[in-house]
Amino acid sequence: MNKPRIGFFDFTGCEGCQLTVLNLEEQFLELLELVEIVEFRELLSGGGGELAIAFVEGSITTDEQACRLRTIRARTRTLVALGACADTAGVNALAGLRTPAELCAEVYASDAPHLQTHPPQALAALVGVDHRIPGCPIDGREFLGVLQALLMGRPPELPSFSLCVECKLAELPCSFESGTVCLGPVTRAGCDALCIRGGDRCRGCRGLIDNPRSGPYHRILEENGLSAEEILREFRTFNVPGKGGR
Amino acid sequence: MDRAAVRTEEAFVTTWRSISRAEIELLVRSLNNAYEVVGVQERQGRLTLDRVDDPAALRLEFPPHVHSPKKFLFPNWEKLFRFRLGGRVLLEPEKAALPRVIFGMHPCDIHAVRVLDDCLFEGEADSAYRAKREATLLVGVDCVPDEHCFCTSMGTDRVADGFDLFLHRVENGYLVQSGSPRGKALLTRHAPQVAARPAESPLPLQLKQCAITLQFPVESLAPLLGGVYDHPMWKQIGERCLGCGACTLLCPSCYCFNVQDRLDLNLEGGERVRTWDSCQFDQFTKVAGGADFRANQADRQRHRFFRKYKYLWEKHQRTACVGCGRCSRECLARIEPATVLNDLFTERALPELASAPGAEYQPQLAEIVGAQPLTAGEKLFRLHLPQPVAFQPGTFMEVSVFGLGEAPITIASAPESAGGSDLELVVRAAGNLTRALHRLKAGDMVGVRGPFGCGFPLEEFVGRDVLLVAGGMGMITLRSLLLSILARREEFGRVLLLYGGRDQDALLFRDDLLAWHRGGLLDCRFVVNAPGGDWPLPVGDVTRLFCDLELAPQRTTAAVSGPPAMYRFINPLLLRLGFEEERVFLNLERHMKCGLGKCGKCQINDICVCQCGPIFPYSRVRHLREAIER
Repeated sequence: MNKPRIGFFDFTGCEGCQLTVLNLEEQFLELLELVEIVEFRELLSGGGGELAIAFVEGSITTDEQACRLRTIRARTRTLVALGACADTAGVNALAGLRTPAELCAEVYASDAPHLQTHPPQALAALVGVDHRIPGCPIDGREFLGVLQALLMGRPPELPSFSLCVECKLAELPCSFESGTVCLGPVTRAGCDALCIRGGDRCRGCRGLIDNPRSGPYHRILEENGLSAEEILREFRTFNVPGKGGR
Repeated sequence: MDRAAVRTEEAFVTTWRSISRAEIELLVRSLNNAYEVVGVQERQGRLTLDRVDDPAALRLEFPPHVHSPKKFLFPNWEKLFRFRLGGRVLLEPEKAALPRVIFGMHPCDIHAVRVLDDCLFEGEADSAYRAKREATLLVGVDCVPDEHCFCTSMGTDRVADGFDLFLHRVENGYLVQSGSPRGKALLTRHAPQVAARPAESPLPLQLKQCAITLQFPVESLAPLLGGVYDHPMWKQIGERCLGCGACTLLCPSCYCFNVQDRLDLNLEGGERVRTWDSCQFDQFTKVAGGADFRANQADRQRHRFFRKYKYLWEKHQRTACVGCGRCSRECLARIEPATVLNDLFTERALPELASAPGAEYQPQLAEIVGAQPLTAGEKLFRLHLPQPVAFQPGTFMEVSVFGLGEAPITIASAPESAGGSDLELVVRAAGNLTRALHRLKAGDMVGVRGPFGCGFPLEEFVGRDVLLVAGGMGMITLRSLLLSILARREEFGRVLLLYGGRDQDALLFRDDLLAWHRGGLLDCRFVVNAPGGDWPLPVGDVTRLFCDLELAPQRTTAAVSGPPAMYRFINPLLLRLGFEEERVFLNLERHMKCGLGKCGKCQINDICVCQCGPIFPYSRVRHLREAIER
């Protein structure tokens, strides 16, 4: 009778993951039959109160954000990291390559002390995170799958196999065939290989599979001419293998 | 019951008709009305099997890398049934399979379908697969192997049946061969002018060439694998394998699957589906509680090989791998089955390939670094071996003087000295070879082979008193044991040596023994047969030394080494004194030649001295009537 109350929150990020949820369109409307969305800044005003599930997007970069996150954690039974920024800090982690002052000088042409922040952190660095929806951005169907599992009282299960499976099922030519290095063999499947479908390669935005075969994979990268520094740089784009700052 | 029908079935004869490309396209167009026609076309720059909308785009010649027709006969995400939730659960069965024609299957893929049939029709036939199988017609086409194919080795480069039609490329078009009554009927209905044509003669078998072949017949695969379960090759493969599953996903005869439920969004119903799984994935063998029965890639790849080349062969007498090369073509780690199998075969089936026949008879060449006369007839040789040997005291080497032959000589030094690369031998000049040995000097080379035989088990002596009884040349063997004991002197109790020789000058190592005796390391007593010389030695044989001897037989281990006659008296004596039969060790020598238990010359009743001796506990030889008289 009482539909579960869910909320969407965001911190430092592009809000693309929340937008992906909205892009579900008709399916999103169907969702409203099952849950009550009580807080979703992109969609409606107001909010507050206890939640069954909170979906949180973005990384934490200020004390104020950390405080707000802790409040959300206290209000909700289940906290789900929505997207790479929340899950592993994602592209935000690239900020760690400069000091805050250098970064501001480069971006704002002044050291802008009021805009300097802490290095971005994943949610799990500060609070307990129950589940994740990986990717940059997330995959809408995966979001629905996770939500469905939570509504059924079942722990959500993400694929434990790598992107290679999805490329082979789609009969896509392997990036390595054309000499392009791809992070697919160690990246978690679930996005249906959309970057490779689009003609690009995988950059690992969904994070590593639980059991990456790093030894064999690094050997393949070396065979393809990558130096150790270049391999590290590949993994740095989405802060792979960052695991939520833990 | 219906005899006419049975007769028709029995009377099926394959027919060959000529058909042009244009007529094939018309056939496809006609088939499209009744079937879903699937064939190889270009889609987004890639050749793939897909629904044919435009017959002109259909490719009948395509390279082997096109993914297999498995996706139609055994699809991924195959719905098993639907269910509705809410109150009672209602199950709704799936609808019937769509009739389909797969227009274009290489011979290897047609063979792969037979493998799927073997597996999926076994026991309780898989109804979903059977439905698709019965509703799908297969049209074969020919192919040219690429550098990854090894179908010729697997016998899958040609196919005699298992298809409904087969299109053979000829100079001005094609020859269509019917392979089943269904195929014949298809032609009659959808290409009547072709079916009405006069029959052509069959094409002779087209020979194909593969760059990769198995270096052995396919029937040897199962026995080969049977012997290599623990081979280090699997670990090597495991260290290269990404676990991506491409091999099994692409394999036309792999079908392992998972069964999952997929819910509708409204949570009111859903479907139970089966999805392709892979023995290469994590989770495949994981059970509740977290145990994983095949947890690493080495074990998983081994399982894949064993399944394809052994288990399924033993079950169905058909190779489950059809040599299509897809797994090797697309493996990023370049794990290639034909290469793996060839490497295993080369190493396994021909283990002596590295060494020539007769290798075990070739001695290593040792240098004489010292030759020192001990007595009038015996010389001590010190040899340096290029390859060190490990041995027990009491064992022997076969020594070669090329041109004269090979003879067994007991090792007189202890294993502990010189790390096994320097040995001492004592040789009495008794025959041609030994006399020739005596003429050699430092710097000369001899051949040595060995060590052979079973020596003294030192653990039977540790912590106990030791009684050594030596007669004549038997002292040589005991010297090796004695040196081992002296190297760890504190581990043993009293060491007593009773040594009988012909006369004073015949006693070997006299000075060493006296020095050790005086140093308190052992209690050494001599006796000689003939009196004379500057020593006041007792006269008689070794048994004399047992008079007035204080012994504790229950905690003493004895080692006896001497001429055959000596055992006749010493053995009963020791047993009467209370020595345990298992703790009396005898040195029984015979005419050892090959040292390998083959030539038969050293046999005592049912045993070979070179394998079981020359050092035996008395309990071991008690039953041998030829060994010693009791």
